[in-house]
Parts: sequence; structure tokens; C-alpha cells
Amino acid sequence: MFYRTAGQFKTSYTADQALFPVRQDAVLLIVILAFAWIVFPLTASEFAFQTLLIPILIYSLAALGLNILTGYAGQLSLGTGAFMGVGAYACYKMVTLMPWMNPIVAILLSGVFSAGIGVVFGIPSLRIKGFYLAIATLAAQFFLVWLFEKWAWLYNYNASGAIQVPNLDMFGVYVSGPQATSFTQYYVVLAIVSLLTWICINLTRGRPGRTWKATRDMDIAAELIGIDLMRSKLTAFAVSSYIVGVAGALFVFMWRGAAEPNLFDIPLSFRILFIAIIGGLGSVLGNYLGAILIVGLPVVLGILPEALGLEITSATVEHLNVMIVGGLIIFFLIIEPHGLAQLWRLIREKLIIWPFPH
Amino acid sequence: MKMTAKLLAAAVVAAVAGSAASAESIYAPNLSYRTGPFAATGIPLMNGQKDYINMLNARDGGIGGVTVDFDECETGYSTEKGVECYEKTKGKAIVTQPWSTGITLQVLPKTNVDEIPILAPGYGFSPMADGKVFQWAFNTPASYWDAASMILQYIDGKDGLEGKKIAFLHLDHPFGKEPLPFLEKKAAEQGFELVPIPVGLKEMQNQSAQWLQIRRERPDYVVMWGWGAMNAGAITEAVKTKFPMENFIGVWWSGHDADLAIVGEDGKGYKSISWSFPQLDAPVMADIKKHVVDAGNSESNEEEMQGVFYGRGVVISMILAEGIKAAQDHFGTGAIDAAQLRWGLENLDVTEERLAELGMTGMVPPFKTSCSDHTGHSGGWMLEWDGAKFVKVSDLLTPESEAIGALEVEKAKEYADANAPWPMNEDCN
Repeated sequence: MFYRTAGQFKTSYTADQALFPVRQDAVLLIVILAFAWIVFPLTASEFAFQTLLIPILIYSLAALGLNILTGYAGQLSLGTGAFMGVGAYACYKMVTLMPWMNPIVAILLSGVFSAGIGVVFGIPSLRIKGFYLAIATLAAQFFLVWLFEKWAWLYNYNASGAIQVPNLDMFGVYVSGPQATSFTQYYVVLAIVSLLTWICINLTRGRPGRTWKATRDMDIAAELIGIDLMRSKLTAFAVSSYIVGVAGALFVFMWRGAAEPNLFDIPLSFRILFIAIIGGLGSVLGNYLGAILIVGLPVVLGILPEALGLEITSATVEHLNVMIVGGLIIFFLIIEPHGLAQLWRLIREKLIIWPFPH
Repeated sequence: MKMTAKLLAAAVVAAVAGSAASAESIYAPNLSYRTGPFAATGIPLMNGQKDYINMLNARDGGIGGVTVDFDECETGYSTEKGVECYEKTKGKAIVTQPWSTGITLQVLPKTNVDEIPILAPGYGFSPMADGKVFQWAFNTPASYWDAASMILQYIDGKDGLEGKKIAFLHLDHPFGKEPLPFLEKKAAEQGFELVPIPVGLKEMQNQSAQWLQIRRERPDYVVMWGWGAMNAGAITEAVKTKFPMENFIGVWWSGHDADLAIVGEDGKGYKSISWSFPQLDAPVMADIKKHVVDAGNSESNEEEMQGVFYGRGVVISMILAEGIKAAQDHFGTGAIDAAQLRWGLENLDVTEERLAELGMTGMVPPFKTSCSDHTGHSGGWMLEWDGAKFVKVSDLLTPESEAIGALEVEKAKEYADANAPWPMNEDCN
């Protein structure tokens, strides 16, 4: 009824292969984009910007990067947090060594460093697979965090060992550091996330994405039909680490404002892996849904009792929060093991034929 | 129609009246951590803070006739949650009590923009003492550099520093690294050897590698900057390796009764510098018992209330309450705002007489803040574990203000330069 496809004829292969073969999907996307670009920034409070909008976007982007590697190319990685750290520290070094540099350029360039590191740690993937590869990326995780702690040059010999984001401006408007407004930072994050998502959709639907999927599904078969596995795996590591690195730079520069090495430790990697898994491996949409569930929901649950006027102590709310979010994760994974993106796909299919199931 | 209009008008009036009535309270949130890996040390502090404010509300009807709306926002000691709490409370809060060095570092640069004072008693960033640079941050009554200075003085007074070897066992985290610049400076000046031994966050509970290193290095003293699970880990490991406990000295956050109770008699001689001391017979404790505990409004218990940390929580709330009172007296208004509280915290003068009035003699040394000195450098006492509780084993130790002051100004300037443009308070000198 809402998703009636009757009357939408496809007369060419191009139309049939379009990103949105059903018109309603395109309309839905336009509505979501309108909310993201216009309605939310105009109505959001400082609290919503800082605890919901900006972090959800950044975590989604990091999960998207991981999804390219794990979901599309089938290479399990546990080093996402450390690669985010590489992006963040690279960006920090660039803006402190070259203060004239445009901050957005610095953020986009910082991904190049993490891509390089990602490729280096991706080389073992040519010989080892599955859980063994996960262990190799775990080594990257431990090594890099150790490096962030020990290599004082990275944090400019700061006594506390933490990095502090300086005030950076662009055409007279502060975009990072304490002087920047959340409003500006939100738009910077949104622009970068939108751009990278657009690139990723195109990559995954195009030739690179198909070679990644072939590698994931059966690498011997892929090799037999002429796919260069080394290239396929290493490009997946490079693209994934690039996106993760940019997400890391945004994480620190557009949101946290300061970071210590242990921020990039394994809990962060797991958090992003959970977002990707719960959202749905091998999908772009899933990363956003996963981030909303894992990052956004606890914040909303945390303010709910107060908004409803319930007298519950803050510590109890926190305990309840952990229980509810944990329960929901189990619930969603039981009703749909392939993640929220698959859940949405099923709902959409049902809606298309609703109310006549045959 | 008319009826609805009337009802609506009545509702509006009621709402306005309601908000007017509630305006006569001061919103002072605390970013607490009663959950997570540091909860064991957090809970007694949070309870002390909360009980003191509740006692003021019950006994005096608040401060200057205005009730204090003391609220907690749970962070679990996570920086991310801390920032969430900061954003949630900053709208109407007159103060931020961040409760972790990580959260403090995070919100420190924002305070100039949001104009809310940070109250971080005995933690945070030591150069915050320089009020000229850090207009909105207060680490009253003592900073980590004060602690380092007092510990060194104590060792010096006992058997001299010259030629000694001091192992600095610390959490590998901004908090643990905080005293390093000062200790390094003093090591060069006073001719002792400093061996920094970091403990990673993942190794807190298993410090066998660090203690093996300590056994190999054979230091004369071990100075510890530990928190949470690290303290108990270090103390049990020290007992196991038979390190002489009397040569083991911790910062004030490493002097938690429960950590020592695990080893009991074996921990005898362990020391911790502290700017607070629990006085169980102090009138303030009796008032808390009468107005809060007996009324059933306390989450604390008998045993916890005798500990060092509960007493310290009470002192922390006293600092806030005194700041509020100073501001109320100066501005002649009950419901003060954040900027007025800043003035109050800058003009604290907690003398011996005032402590006696508050019924807190001996719980904290007297201190005084000013526009340029946000710490007050109260000094502190060396506490020693006697097998069952902490006892005072020194007279009041005071930090070397001059050496610390110079370093504070230097590091504060570095911070301001790195965060340019950074507004300075030019009015004070």
C-alpha cells in the first residue's frame, strides 16, 4: 500500500540496476537527508548534537569502514580502534606541524596514513584467513596503542600523554577545538560522512565491490575466474583503513576534543565491530542502524526517566541501561541474525506486497 | 471555550509560580561513578559529598536559605559518559564536578566558552592552580604537584633525599603521569634517582612484572600514583614480595581503607599523603548522622563513614558550600549563578576558626584561594596504616609553593599557547 510498486515500469537495464529501483526508496532517502541536513541542525540542542547526532555519524562511518573489510571482503579485523587512532594522531601531528593547513584537508589526508598502516597489517591476510587473521589484526591493535603511549613525539611531548585539539579555523569560522560550535562541527561531520558514504555505495556496487564479494564468498573460485586476490584484499584493507582513519580524526577533532592512548584500545574496536555486526555485515545502511542502536539508544534511555519524571538514581539508570541495551541486542540478533539491515529489507519486502501476501 | 481559556490561564499562572518557587534553589550536579571499574573508590566519596549537602539542606535549609539541588549524573568513570553528563547538566548547573582527570581535561577548554566553574578538589591538571590562565578551573585545596612535593619533603625529613633511589609506580594514564614533570625537576635538583615504572590500564590487577622490576632495582622508596584496582594490586604485590611497607608511599587517592583492609596487619606501615583526615568525633559528622543517616537519606554505612574517602567527600562538598556562601555574601543574592560561584571559589578563606564553626577541625588544613591561586596549597598530612585504620604520622606538611608556582605558570602558558586563542584574566596578578 505504502510501497506500491505497481505502475513503476523499467524499460532499460540501467533502470533495473538503479540504486533505487522503487521510487519510494528514493523518496525515503530524500526525507532522511532533509532531516539530517536541515531539520536536525536547526532544532537540535547542544546536548543532542554532542551526544546523539555527531557521535552516531562518526561511529557509523567507522563501522562503514570496518564493514568494507569484514562485511564485503570477508577479512575479520579486530584492530579498528587502533586504525582510528592512527587517523587521529596523524591529523594531530599535521595540524600542529603545519598550522596553516585547512582542517578538513588534514582530516581527509589523515586517512592516507591509516590506509598505509592498514595495508602493512593487511599483508598477512594473503596467507592466513578467518580467526587467524583476526589474531594478526589484534597484534596491530596492541602494537599501535603501545606506540601511541610510548612515542612521545606523537603527542608533542605533552606531560599528560594526551592530545588536545587546538582551535582551528576555516575562513574565519572555528571548526574544531573548544571555540567551535557544535552546529559547525555537525555540518563538517555530516558533509564528510555523506561524501564517504556516497563513495562507498559506488565502490561496493561497482567492480571493486564485486571482487571483494567474490573474495569473501570463495577465494579459490575468485582466483580461478581471474581475480587478483592480493589486489582485492589489499585494496579492501586500504579503503577500509582510510575510512576508519578519517572516522578516527573526526572522532577526536570534531567530537572528543582530547584523547589519551587508551581511548583507542580494544573496547573501541569491539564497539565498532558490534555496530557492524548488529547493523548487518555487507550493508551500508546497517552501519547507521547499528550506531543508532548502540550509541544513540543508551543516551535516550538515560534521559528517559528524568523526562518522565521518575525518581530513579543515576546509578540505577545506568545499570538498567546496560541491561536493556544488552537485552535488545540479543533480541534483535535472535529475530534476525543477519542484522538490522536485513530486518529492514524483510520489512520492506513485506510492505511492498502488503496487504495481499500473495 | 471561556472555561478552557480560564483553565489555561490558571495553568500558566501555576506554571510561572511553580518555576518561581523552584528558582530559589541552586543546581549543583556531581558527575558520579557508582558503577564501573572504579566504583569501589567512587562510592564512599560520592556518599560523603551527597550526605554533607543533604545535611545542610536538612539542618539549615540549604546555604543562605537557598536549598541546594544536589544531583548525580552517572559516568562510570568513562570520559565519553562524562562529556554526556557535562552537556546534560551545563544548562542550569552552577558547577561541574568532573571526577576524573580524563573528563577534566576534556571539559577544561570548554569552560571558557560555557563559563561554568570546574571544581576538581585534589585532582585534574596541576597547572589549573594558575587562575590567570585557568579562570574557570579550581583544584582546591591541593594539586598533584603539591602531593609530590610533600612526599619528597617527608622522605627528606626522615633520612635525606641525596643519593636515594625512588621508584615512581604510576598508572600509565594522564592521572599517573601528572606529577612526572615536577618529580623530574626535583630529582635533578636534589640529586636522587627517579625510576618511573608505569602500570598499564590492563595490568592494574597483575603487577608482577612491575614488582619484579622493583625487586631488581632495589629502590629506597616506592611512590605510588594509583587509582581503583591498581592500589589493591600494588599493595598485595608489595606484601607478597616483602617490600618494606614503611617505605611505600601513595598519593591521596591511594589511601583507601578498603584496599588496605585486604592485607590488614601485613600492610602496617604503608603511607599515603592526604589533605583530608576523618575526624569521627567532629560535630559535622554528628550532624550528618542526626539529619541524614538517622532520617534514612544516606546510602552510606557505618564502616564506610569511618574511612578516609567518606571524610574527603564531606570536605569536598564543604569547599563547594563555602564557595557558594562566599558568593552569596558578596553579591547579596541567594540563588547565585555560575559566574558568581566562580568569584566565590576564588575568594575562599577557610581558616582554623571557620573550620571550627563548621565543626570540621582537623578534617582539612586551612586554605585560602585568590584570583591567581586557584589551589590554595593547603598542605596535608602523612597518614599511615596501623593495621586497622589510617592514623596521622606527621605534622602539617606544606608544599614548596615557589618551585611549584614557577612550574605551574610555565605549564599553564604552554597549555594556553597550544590552545590559542585562550582568554587570560588580565585583572589579577
